[in-house]
Amino acid sequence: MTSASPPVAKPRYPSTYNPAPGHRFNVGDRIAIRRTFPPGHRRTPFYIRGKQGVIERICGAFANPEELAYGFDGEPKKVLYRVRFLQKHVWPDYNGPQHDTIDMEIFEHWLEPLPDTRN
Amino acid sequence: MSNPSFDYYAQQKHGHAHEHDHARDKHAAIETREGPPSEYEIMSRAMQELLEEKDLITADQVRQKMERFEEELPYRGSKVVARAWTDPEFKQRLLEDGKAACAEMGIDLEADRLIAVENTPAVHNVIVCTLCSCYPRSLLGMPPTWYKSSNYRSRVVFEPRAVLKEFGTELAEDVTVRVHDSNADMRYLVIPMRPEGTDGWSEEQLSEILTRDTLVGVTTPGVTRK
Amino acid sequence: MSDASRNKGPHDIGGEEAGPVDTIDHGMKFWERQANGLRSVLRERDLVRTDELRRAAEDLGEQYSKLEYFERTTSALRTVLLEKNLITEDELKSKMAEVRARFNVPDEMESPLKKGARR
Repeated sequence: MTSASPPVAKPRYPSTYNPAPGHRFNVGDRIAIRRTFPPGHRRTPFYIRGKQGVIERICGAFANPEELAYGFDGEPKKVLYRVRFLQKHVWPDYNGPQHDTIDMEIFEHWLEPLPDTRN
Repeated sequence: MSNPSFDYYAQQKHGHAHEHDHARDKHAAIETREGPPSEYEIMSRAMQELLEEKDLITADQVRQKMERFEEELPYRGSKVVARAWTDPEFKQRLLEDGKAACAEMGIDLEADRLIAVENTPAVHNVIVCTLCSCYPRSLLGMPPTWYKSSNYRSRVVFEPRAVLKEFGTELAEDVTVRVHDSNADMRYLVIPMRPEGTDGWSEEQLSEILTRDTLVGVTTPGVTRK
Repeated sequence: MSDASRNKGPHDIGGEEAGPVDTIDHGMKFWERQANGLRSVLRERDLVRTDELRRAAEDLGEQYSKLEYFERTTSALRTVLLEKNLITEDELKSKMAEVRARFNVPDEMESPLKKGARR
């Protein structure tokens, strides 16, 4: 994700990303969003449930919004990923070009691995 | 009937019924009213007053936020992207870590975590929050009404090209349209393609054509300025 | 009714058919900017959480689509402040009556809490 460090130490700036200890998935992994529809506050939109995509980026571990929403501290943090989907895999009758995509952030507990077709 | 010139904060601070008292109270916000307040306005003001009375917040804090959202935040996104247009190495750092790159410029995003996404001849990016109205407020201020509208939120994810067309933006079939649904902790800013005819422009001149709509991705910057 | 439709919140609208976008920015009224300022201060001071406010808005059910954006956020803030006992229902009723009187709003204008949502 980042280029090689320069020889001179840079001041530390706050990062967009958090560390992701023990992350289950890596960039390029093909995954599916779990097809489950529990009640309560979820940040995984209905339209993406059960759809297949690819890990685009690891964002790091963040407090779980599904718990924060009810006054809990959201710990332990869960790893958040950016996932890319082809629109044609999300909408059965998508009427744009086949290469259009939609990206969003999904927490690790909503992801399932897919077999790698190259294996 | 309610007083159209009523300035609540001036009255509260000075304890007398004076409207437009901002000569004395330079922080009093000027309010023009278009009719009686709705129940929700009354509710919102009542909640604020109660919290002030309980010393949980102050009127000054709220006023300062209002000023910040109005006068400072909306202009920061265009500055960042104008810098990216003129400094390719900065652009690279912005793409790799948006929050760190903004901090480098002295722009503190506070709670926001920025992912900058770049438009190229092959890719056009557009941002939405289908679930509510997440938006890079620390760089663009408050979202426009269309961004918060249910029609935008529901349609741009499945027919982005039709929605972009409603904004006057048409993209060739060989350009990939990439929608970003900002549904969790990240916030997004589009780096538009720099248009022809802007060679030698200063960052200030460039930031003028980097309007809010171009940074959300519903329009592209034009060289003819308003 | 399947789990899928039963548990879809009123906010989870990605993919739903809808009319053309009104592309004009109609801006914010003074009270809306003030409401936003209030919310911002409360979040910064960790008195309410963004996730809690979102969840409270999502719990509006049928009212969600009938309210305008800041009406929803105000309603959500009320819910969370009451939940956390930062204000009480009685305090709010009294204060609203006081604010209403200050604006010389007639008493006949009933609270939407009693009346239900209005357009």
